[in-house]
Amino acid sequence: QLVSALHNLTRHVVYRGLTRAEDILCLFPENFHQNLKNLLTKIILENISAWRNEAQASQISLPRLVDMDWRVDIKTSSDSILRMAVPTCLLQLKIQEDAALCGNNPVVSALTVELSKETLDTMLEGLGRIRDQLSAVANK
Amino acid sequence: LSSQQFSALTEVLFRFLTEPKEVERFLTQLSDFATMNKISLGPLKNIVKSILLVPNGALKRNLSSEQVRADFIALGLSEEKASYFAEQWKMNSPTLTRLAVGQTLMINQLIDMEWKFGVTAGSSELEKVGSIFLQLKLVIKKGSQLENVYVELTLPQFYSFLHEMERVKTSLESFS
Repeated sequence: QLVSALHNLTRHVVYRGLTRAEDILCLFPENFHQNLKNLLTKIILENISAWRNEAQASQISLPRLVDMDWRVDIKTSSDSILRMAVPTCLLQLKIQEDAALCGNNPVVSALTVELSKETLDTMLEGLGRIRDQLSAVANK
Repeated sequence: LSSQQFSALTEVLFRFLTEPKEVERFLTQLSDFATMNKISLGPLKNIVKSILLVPNGALKRNLSSEQVRADFIALGLSEEKASYFAEQWKMNSPTLTRLAVGQTLMINQLIDMEWKFGVTAGSSELEKVGSIFLQLKLVIKKGSQLENVYVELTLPQFYSFLHEMERVKTSLESFS
């Protein structure tokens, strides 16, 4: 019962985003032991940002990017042309499925994608536009 | 074949080579040519088949137009016609080479990318959040099918992704 009550208290504090000691203190009932109240408030305040970050990390989302690697290859030959020197890019994205669905064993899959130079240029154009849009929103 | 007929035939051939998907059009043009010049279609098709072997082999081995001309002369074509064909070859080879490179195997080729970004307003754990997320949809060609992959990135991840992609571009450019 004690653990459950503590759990509810901390969840409430995290949910509401309470950051000031006064706000937390007034959650306790009137006749609560003074020192215990202060001690609990202090501990909660210390942990609150860690708890908020963890809640955010485990909220539902689309699959998330966890890592990314790339390499550049030069294609020298194929069944249609015996000699050439065409550079191409291999991009590996490590994607983690929705954390909420996987519980404690998140499933990470690796996706390898090949991009030609033209595709890369187009992609960079798109990414540049995203960056511009982000700065526009940030500067408003 | 007179030289005029030969140049008309060559034109038809090269138009097909540069647009290999237009098979129907090629066949129609061939039968038109046959009717106009009173040649029967069957033997014409056979001749065309053997003629087409030369540019395809040349493309594979990156032959110069000189070598193409020599090949045709070895096959018994008159010098004039062989030179004409070699000229046409020289003109068309950039397009043809590009087509052949385009046909080269690509693994999980990225076809398209869409994105949206927004703000997470709240969740069941946190009443007010206000964090920015970026969602990418990548369209990938797996074999002959298209697959959509959805990924979410945080802002710092986005900036490092952009930075890495710019490094890839520099790397690719230094090899071109």
